[in-house]
Amino acid sequence: MIGQAIADGILTGAIIALGAIGVSFTLQIMRFANFAHSELLTWGAYLALVFVAFAGPGTPTGPFSFGWQLIAAAAFAALMTGLVAWAVDDLVFRNLRRRGAHPLTMVFAAFGAALVMRNVVVLIWGHGSHYYTRELQMSVELLPGVRMLPDQIFILALALVVVVCLHGFLTYSRTGMAMRAMAESPPLAQVCGVEVDAVVRWTWILSGALAALAGVFAGLTPQLHPEIGFNLLLALFAAAILGGTGSLVGAVIGGLLVGLAENLSLLFISAGYKTAMPFLVLLLVLLVRPQGLFGEKA
Amino acid sequence: MHVTIRIAVALASGLLAFGEAAAQAACPVKIGGVLPLTGSMAPITKKIAQSAELAIEHINQGGGVKGCPVQFILRDDQGQPTVGVDAAKYLVEVERVPAFTGTISSGVTGPIIASVTAPSKVVQITCCSTASPFTLDGRSGGYFFRTIPTSKTQAYATASETTKRGLKKTAIIYVNTDFGTDMLRFYKAAVGKLGGEVAIEVPYNDNQPSYRAEVSKALAAKPESLLLIGFPKDAVTIVREWLSLGGTKNIALNNSMRTMDFVNGVGAKFVEDFFGMDNAQVAGPHVDAFNKAFEDKFKTDSKGPGVHTQYDALMVMALAMNIAKDLTGPSIKDAVRRVHVAGGAPVGTGPAEYKKALELIRAGKPIKYFGATGPIEFDANGDVTGPALVWKVKDGQIVTDRVITIEEMQALFKRIEN
Amino acid sequence: MLTGVFSYLVFFACIVLILGILTLGLNLQWGFTGLFNAGIVGFYAIGAYTHAILTAAPQPQYLGNFGLPWLVGIVAAMAATAFAAWLIGLLTIRLRGDYLAIATFGIAVSIQLVALNWEPLTGGSQGLSRIPKPLAGVFDTPLSFNLWFLCLLAALVAAVYAALERILRSPWGRVLKAIREDETAAVALGKSARGFRLEAFVLGSTLMGLAGALYVSFIGFVSPFDFLPILTFQVWAMLIAGGSGNNRGALIGALLVWTIWSASGIAVTKLVPPSHAAQGAAIQVILIGLLLILVLLYRPRGLIGEAAVVSRHADD
Repeated sequence: MIGQAIADGILTGAIIALGAIGVSFTLQIMRFANFAHSELLTWGAYLALVFVAFAGPGTPTGPFSFGWQLIAAAAFAALMTGLVAWAVDDLVFRNLRRRGAHPLTMVFAAFGAALVMRNVVVLIWGHGSHYYTRELQMSVELLPGVRMLPDQIFILALALVVVVCLHGFLTYSRTGMAMRAMAESPPLAQVCGVEVDAVVRWTWILSGALAALAGVFAGLTPQLHPEIGFNLLLALFAAAILGGTGSLVGAVIGGLLVGLAENLSLLFISAGYKTAMPFLVLLLVLLVRPQGLFGEKA
Repeated sequence: MHVTIRIAVALASGLLAFGEAAAQAACPVKIGGVLPLTGSMAPITKKIAQSAELAIEHINQGGGVKGCPVQFILRDDQGQPTVGVDAAKYLVEVERVPAFTGTISSGVTGPIIASVTAPSKVVQITCCSTASPFTLDGRSGGYFFRTIPTSKTQAYATASETTKRGLKKTAIIYVNTDFGTDMLRFYKAAVGKLGGEVAIEVPYNDNQPSYRAEVSKALAAKPESLLLIGFPKDAVTIVREWLSLGGTKNIALNNSMRTMDFVNGVGAKFVEDFFGMDNAQVAGPHVDAFNKAFEDKFKTDSKGPGVHTQYDALMVMALAMNIAKDLTGPSIKDAVRRVHVAGGAPVGTGPAEYKKALELIRAGKPIKYFGATGPIEFDANGDVTGPALVWKVKDGQIVTDRVITIEEMQALFKRIEN
Repeated sequence: MLTGVFSYLVFFACIVLILGILTLGLNLQWGFTGLFNAGIVGFYAIGAYTHAILTAAPQPQYLGNFGLPWLVGIVAAMAATAFAAWLIGLLTIRLRGDYLAIATFGIAVSIQLVALNWEPLTGGSQGLSRIPKPLAGVFDTPLSFNLWFLCLLAALVAAVYAALERILRSPWGRVLKAIREDETAAVALGKSARGFRLEAFVLGSTLMGLAGALYVSFIGFVSPFDFLPILTFQVWAMLIAGGSGNNRGALIGALLVWTIWSASGIAVTKLVPPSHAAQGAAIQVILIGLLLILVLLYRPRGLIGEAAVVSRHADD
């Protein structure tokens, strides 16, 4: 039982982690809680669906339920959603920033933007569910008592690859370093000649791309619907804050902890309380470390 | 302060304008509707709203209410109680609807009954809200009716079927709402009397991206069968995760799953061993006529939760409004039970049958309405009972396996409740 | 006809005033103290359920339902919420901005889940019904009851508003403002920031509990579905759109946002035929989102920004 719960937790956690990275960086660099982030997950999932509608999910390759076309779809969705995120910033948040709006005003503008984005999806695709593939996989037994779908193993592996690449980008590339500088201290970064606009642009594009991947993975297991991002919203924020905003490692660990908390808690308590678990873990962490696990002390 | 006054005046004038227009003439007669058109229930509401539209069309083609055409005003409750209450109050006070239909979630139906229906004495007929206390404790003053049996009927029928099939060690995964807990309670009571064994009960909160945790917990009890109580969207996720984690194919489902959305979501070839329960539409020409009319108009099948009951709710409402001596709440309330009088002339679904009913009503003759769900007869509480049916999927189609007749249901009730 | 419209407006105004009390409570916490409380529905729920459990008619399957008088329910609701807020505040006050938000949010989610799952006390998913409405025997038609309740609410809101304005101009209020503007300076002057913040948090939450008790005694029914996160978002939108740091702004924001929510629904029924009701409903939500964004784009400080209070010695 416990092995399965851990495996399930890691899988849920991986998807949350990918979404939480974007939230974490927006919180730290742009200093506001972007409630429209969850809709980037939804849009990413549906944009991949558009690609799949033309190219098909591909004949199942190997043990997976899809072919290379889905991966191409995910890449396409990541690119497009990055652009969508940038566009939303351009239309809504940049204007507010220029007028010196209070961060909370931005939060509610984000809330309004989320309502619009979610319901545009409803207008175009309707409320019902969609599927990338109609295959129903059987899980494989990795260890005694621990079963996972091959698709899920793939998602984990891909998530790991993405995180490692992102870490490399942040550590070694100029833009990455600029982002980290801005995350630590915007005034200092500017003094050092970091171009704020470029960093902001890259933050949005990366957030959108990562969110899109998370959306595609969520949509793969097993269905897409317009509220797919919204249903993950609070878990994303809990994970980002639990890990400490502005930290990539923090967001990943935060995501995994949230996933594990949800799944392991069922061993002890009724499933009716499952959705509160991420917050209880968060509260415990914040009590001991108010800045989150890997966050900077204020 | 100026801004407040300006906004308040603007709002008041706007509403006054609407109100004035509404007050002009006795025609058209307005019927209100409150449904969750957006929000988590939205996927199943779409067809219900279509069914409502079909009913209004038939009513108008058949002659309307008291010689006037009927105008249907449908508001969205967004799944939020305050929004639903505001919508219902608007319909009753500003649009002056003599009756209205709604809604689905009991969290919204409850406040509407308490703050609009009962105090304003307006008839409310719901297609889909199954929480038993609403009718059983007299809180609506007799103004609340439903064309869907409460969960008790379905739960007892499910227990009877699972024990008949010899399903042992049943895990129950149920949605953590009033519907799910109601079904669970009655199912357990029934299974206790009929024999059968519940291995584990696992509630789930809806709208989650994954239910592996709940499924794993249920599987840990090594069940030999599963009873899944919930709604299609999450049910698809649960069933897929259950099957892929090696769960048994001995799965029993509730009525909401009797829709192609669910069948296609899981995959038609994987659901052949499942069975489900539903309130029966007594097979017959009137049910078939409805199904055909629905399919012709909307180019999609008429299966799905609430579709038949919504049609009947509105037809009953319109018939009652014609029978009633005037369009006040108390008169309509008393007329509702007269749409199905013992010995009355049978009238069915569709515009021609409705027209026939109006002629009979005008002549002062009693009628007996056979709706899309079969004969509609409200008991003293405003509830209906009915037969149940067992359905399954064969060759990608939802078919009826067997029907549990009203007599069998009554015998079942006696056996469980004594 | 006209009486119908009037009757609806009275009902509408009651809801607006109840939401207004929620917003006033939030304004005290955010506008004046800078506390990002995203757990509004949690305190609303505690007030509502306390009142319901104490005043509803007894039923054998429930632990509670004591059938006590309305006033007892109201006072107890406020006391219970104050106590809960004090405990929660002790745990969370020292968290910074967004972190406090997510922590309070999580607590609100947990409170809602307790209401959903602890059936013997809260009625579980079925909720609690037949909660007595005050003086319902005297005012027995819907219009007369709603009108009387509106007067009651108006009086309460006026009292709360006046009390808040006085508190905020008192020495206590000035310290609060000082802490919000420049905490280091205030602490240097020997004021305990945490103590003041906790007091503001408790007071604001007590108002939210009061709103919950009033809501439940107005509608007569309570269930866990009344306390979903969407309401927190709505109240925040009301405060931000109306103008935070400003009690008048809070009330106007409540009126504005609730009017947007309600009027957009009415507009959709007038403009969209029932056959397209589902799309119309999606458009309604899009409209709400757009209106919110527009209000914030053009008045980022809210409809009524905060009045800048400058010391009369500033130009000395």
